[in-house]
Amino acid sequence: MKREYLYTILFTFAVTAGFTAVLAAANSAFLPIIQRNEELAERRAVLFAFDIPFESDSEVEEVFAETIGTEMVANTEVFVHQDAGEVIAYAVPFVGAGLWGTIRGFLAVSADLTEIVGIEFTEQNETPGLGSRIDERWYKEQYRGVPLDDQGAVLIDDTGASRVDAITGATSTSRAVVGIVEQESRKIVNMLGAVVQ
Amino acid sequence: MNEIRSAFRRNLLDENQVLRQILGICSILAVTNLLVNSLVMGLGLMFVLSLSSLTISALRSYIPHRVRMIIQIFIIAAYVIFVDIFIKAFSPDISRALGPYVGLIITNCIIMGRAEAYAQKNPPLLSLIDGFFAGLGYTAVLICIALIRELFGFGTVFGFDVNVLNLETWTIMVMPPAAFFIIGVMIWAASNVISRRQENRS
Repeated sequence: MKREYLYTILFTFAVTAGFTAVLAAANSAFLPIIQRNEELAERRAVLFAFDIPFESDSEVEEVFAETIGTEMVANTEVFVHQDAGEVIAYAVPFVGAGLWGTIRGFLAVSADLTEIVGIEFTEQNETPGLGSRIDERWYKEQYRGVPLDDQGAVLIDDTGASRVDAITGATSTSRAVVGIVEQESRKIVNMLGAVVQ
Repeated sequence: MNEIRSAFRRNLLDENQVLRQILGICSILAVTNLLVNSLVMGLGLMFVLSLSSLTISALRSYIPHRVRMIIQIFIIAAYVIFVDIFIKAFSPDISRALGPYVGLIITNCIIMGRAEAYAQKNPPLLSLIDGFFAGLGYTAVLICIALIRELFGFGTVFGFDVNVLNLETWTIMVMPPAAFFIIGVMIWAASNVISRRQENRS
């Protein structure tokens, strides 16, 4: 009886150690590739938010090195788009609650804080095929050029219509994103207002 | 050769894991609204199911009976994590699209079902073949449902627009209940075909 217990414990330990070692090796072997993918994804997101076109991954690196800098504002790392020494736009990371999970991304605003330059999502867990369509180009393009005032984004135009169309079948996610944009743009205007003037 | 053929027949129709054993339904409802996601999910499951069956079968006479399920789940989880790392490293876009679903392969009842029902009592090579075809049977059903849902829900096939007539797409097809209706019809059809064949035989 005792030997059976001992064997069970030893066997479980041996199997656990073996598989964990293999997984740990695989993880550390692939970690540099995964980190590079993540960094590249972040850079691509920043460029998209700034509305800077790019074709290939190598072009992303090139454009990023040439025109994008970073700056610390109120403990947040802000990406700055510069052209010939002049600041064109800022991109600020944001975090907000979607319908199912956290939505992360970058919101870019023009240097004079008068309009949104663009938005890009880096993480979202919305319903595939419905809410996750916020990742589609047409949806994100709608936010380009939305005016900002000192209260943040003005998503309703003078006629009372919304400047941004929601996604059919994904009302809750659409509402959540609009809420995030309103809240984050207000925060960004307050945060950068001090730096810009 | 005979064994391969019987494993193929058994897992693709007569004892199809989804249509006959009604296993793995949860993941079918979740991922089948796009063909690409279904295909990656199916391939991931086939990989995990084949190798976990092989491993469990190879270790079957050493695994203490008392803790066999824990060990099985552990082996399955190890392969699933490996698949997750692999997709993250070489196909980050698909990894993003599938989100948490890859990790959820661990809880797919088919894998535990095959481990308990087959790999435990059969030699490694046969278990590998059985696991592969069981995964293929699952993938086949997954692709059928995803084809119907993507075609009617988005008017696309593998992301290519085939909705040349510009017909209205059905939002219901994008929602999980659509998979429920389609799979119900498929289960009914499969059991009809099989029971008719048995009647003919007797």
